[in-house]
Amino acid sequence: MAFRHEIEALSSQNANLCFQCSKCSASCPLADMMDLKPAQVMHSIRLGREEAVLNSTAIWLCLGCETCSARCPQQVEPAAAMAAARVIALKRGIQPSVKEVGIYYRGFVDNMRLNGKIHDASVAGVTQLLTGQFTSSLPMAWKLLTHGRLKPPPLPFGGGGFRRLYNNVLAKERET
Amino acid sequence: MKYGYYPGCSLEGISAEYDDSIRSLFKRLDVTIEDLPGWICCGTVAAPSMSRLLGLATPLWNVARAKQAGYDQLIAPCSACLYHFKHAAQQVAESPALRAEVEAVLALGVPLASLPPTVHPLEILSADAFESRINQLVQRDLSALKAVCYYGCHISRPAKVMQFDDPENPQSMDRLMKWVGVQVLDWPSKVDCCGAHFSLIKPGIVVDLCTRLFESALEAGAEAIIVGCPMCHANLDTRQDEIAAKLGRPLNMPVLYFSQVLGFALGLSPDVLGFKKHIVDPVPLMLEKCHLSA
Repeated sequence: MAFRHEIEALSSQNANLCFQCSKCSASCPLADMMDLKPAQVMHSIRLGREEAVLNSTAIWLCLGCETCSARCPQQVEPAAAMAAARVIALKRGIQPSVKEVGIYYRGFVDNMRLNGKIHDASVAGVTQLLTGQFTSSLPMAWKLLTHGRLKPPPLPFGGGGFRRLYNNVLAKERET
Repeated sequence: MKYGYYPGCSLEGISAEYDDSIRSLFKRLDVTIEDLPGWICCGTVAAPSMSRLLGLATPLWNVARAKQAGYDQLIAPCSACLYHFKHAAQQVAESPALRAEVEAVLALGVPLASLPPTVHPLEILSADAFESRINQLVQRDLSALKAVCYYGCHISRPAKVMQFDDPENPQSMDRLMKWVGVQVLDWPSKVDCCGAHFSLIKPGIVVDLCTRLFESALEAGAEAIIVGCPMCHANLDTRQDEIAAKLGRPLNMPVLYFSQVLGFALGLSPDVLGFKKHIVDPVPLMLEKCHLSA
């Protein structure tokens, strides 16, 4: 399957509709930090520049704010195309080019498997430990703790529903 | 109208004051909300980054349960949760094949057709029907308070998914705040992104984006920022010392949820509304601005 079809299958986004007006790039709050700007991501998808897209920082820096999708005159949703690119990258074993983001998303879903919900302080703590930001995040943790905003983690007795769903998804994806 | 309530993970953790203020506000307005039994996390941007199916099934689990419980609407005060509910519901509505796939992994025996709509509390409260109700209940005059309303990303964007308010210049929160007298200022950053979850991984980016927001709020002459999303609140309230250093000027601007301002105007106490949990204490400003009769 051509790369743009793979993206389309996962996101319902047809990259060929993009006429390169670059309104998405102009609207993106993080475009200045991305190697490929959102419009370039869309063009690269059209051209089948698979490696460039899957290894880009753009797909991992995307915050999902949806400004690009909201403003596209062609009703294309670059944010959805980038989410599809993240899924494809992970499936191919390509390390997220912004590694902290990959660590955070993985840790987030793992935390959901304990209790169905996340415990925000645990997710934050684990992420910061694994990304080497634990010490620098301590002043913030102290600030939150002293204002009564951190709660102890719950016992992992509530996540049965989510774990079942998660395993069903894994089983289904193994089939295909 | 039977309302289900989905607090979401943030409101059980770092943003408990949003939860407290929403519950006490609805009670004050005599609107009954019922907690969605056995709710799970919406999966936010993490689940859809792992797998499309996981990213759809996780939020839809909650919407399916809301249908099972017989709610007419499911209220989600976190705009990120709300976006994922609406987005996933729209995806399965557009594709019968996808719908069947999600129904199979959910295994709840609930057809994912004609799901109850999910709504932000602003959508309920800013409706005309509440204007006179709120006017009758006002106990504190907030007409001396100058504030900007900050909507962030997902209360109304993207329009195709959220189908509420104007995606570029939303008005619902402005309206609601004007009903209780607040001087709502015009400003250009209503729907700019605060950096959301990057607070945990790339705090520098969040500080940069929030610095622009404060610059813009200060230029408009705001004394407070009013928000409707737990992530916007956390980012704006907890990082003001770093932002002040970037701005090169002291910064101590209270950031309040619309539900706290509204609850306060309707006579609820700062304790009930969770004012004490804020890093930037809003109590002095709020007491100074309202002409307290008691």
